[in-house]
Amino acid sequence: MVNLQDLKKEVQKILKEGKIKYFIGYEKREDEPFAKPSFIKKPEDVEKLTWNPTCVHNLARFLVFEKRRKASEKEPDERPVGIMVKGCDSRAINVLIQEKFINREDVYIIGVSCENTGVIDEKKLSKKLKNKQAQKIDFGEKDNFVVTTNDGKMKVPSKEILADNCLECKTNYPVVYDVFLGEKIERKPEDPFESIKKIESLSPKEKYNFWKEQIDKCIRCYACRSVCPMCYCDECVVDSIELSVTAETTADEKAKKIIWTEKSPVSSENFTYHLVRAIHMAGRCVDCGECERVCPVDIPIRLLNKKLEKEVVELFDYEAGFDSDRPPLLSSFKEKDPQEFIR
Amino acid sequence: MSDQFEPKIVAFLCKWCSSAGSDLAGVSRMKYPPNVVPITVMCSGSVSPLYILSAFKRGADGVLVSGCHPGDCHYIKGNYYARRRIALVKKILEFIGLEPQRLQMSWISAAEGSKYTETIKDFVQELKPLGPQTRLRRGK
Repeated sequence: MVNLQDLKKEVQKILKEGKIKYFIGYEKREDEPFAKPSFIKKPEDVEKLTWNPTCVHNLARFLVFEKRRKASEKEPDERPVGIMVKGCDSRAINVLIQEKFINREDVYIIGVSCENTGVIDEKKLSKKLKNKQAQKIDFGEKDNFVVTTNDGKMKVPSKEILADNCLECKTNYPVVYDVFLGEKIERKPEDPFESIKKIESLSPKEKYNFWKEQIDKCIRCYACRSVCPMCYCDECVVDSIELSVTAETTADEKAKKIIWTEKSPVSSENFTYHLVRAIHMAGRCVDCGECERVCPVDIPIRLLNKKLEKEVVELFDYEAGFDSDRPPLLSSFKEKDPQEFIR
Repeated sequence: MSDQFEPKIVAFLCKWCSSAGSDLAGVSRMKYPPNVVPITVMCSGSVSPLYILSAFKRGADGVLVSGCHPGDCHYIKGNYYARRRIALVKKILEFIGLEPQRLQMSWISAAEGSKYTETIKDFVQELKPLGPQTRLRRGK
């Protein structure tokens, strides 16, 4: 078990020493059991910190914001930012370092192991509770969570409400860190790509019908893009670069505007958006499951990423986030890459 | 004119090899189906997945990406990058239910006019039984 006191002590120490600018962690919410991201600036505030399976967020996203903020400051504070990471989050940081978006010295990483659990999927939980509000969740037992609702206590097997990406997680401990808390427990899933097997076995027509139904739900809120630590481009290809059309805009200028995908949430545009997003994640997605968690219309976005993750392992023997010194997947090649599909 | 379905193919040909290959097919007066719209790009490595998706969105029934043979790239390694990228695009398009035959890749050198005509002939033959591509097309 990760000892919460150890975590607090460690954060207090580095804050007191002035080693870090501030610390990004999780804190308890008053009205509901799920934790929220927390930014700790003063050593006395560390009492707020918490760590349990409701710490769902991938905090690596905040490093993207931090870099932008730092770039806009006149006299930036050059000290690193402290951050608390799970296994998947640490891989995300590794990819950011690999792509030279951030430097390793810019972050002070406290790694916490998920050990035998993972994070709870809020949607699965509310389904399990038949939409009743959970007031408190206890994590004391090994394979069960004890959920308290208005109707009293209820024992829920952890497997039933853990997020899919946690059930398929191969490395449930951080791979890059300055301080490590907890134990490295090797826990191999039976099949890390189980979720996509069912769709893969369908015929093209059935696959299309499945995806059309899902993707037509998309309202293009771009929450999946906003939450993803890998989506850090300053300009996104799905946004038109120059939006303004004024009275002075000539037909020529209008024609020159490249619009790859329209904003309207119609089938073809939604497909383009989701396919482009998936391809941009190829060899970069660390499977933190955030895109699917934030989706307001429950599109199984993670499956697209998972499919490419599988292909990347099989075709190119590459896994994202484990080695920050290796060149990124799509900006490197081997002469012996498979090419049976080429005429 | 017969009522038979004639597929529309968008071919992204690299300037240095495949485009020259298609030119050779033309000046040698080789016959091949007129279903293809060739688009010259500087290198097969410059073909963004968005080009392919846009072609499908605007009504292409098939897309061909063609570059120099491995080792012959004018920019030394552009076609190697293309090979990795197109392999993944092919897999994800298959996963969402587009028929795998609709996106093809080939290596055609400037001397291979006949290979170009063969590739297009085969491609058209493969697309005919599939019928029009409507899954990614706009306005459906």
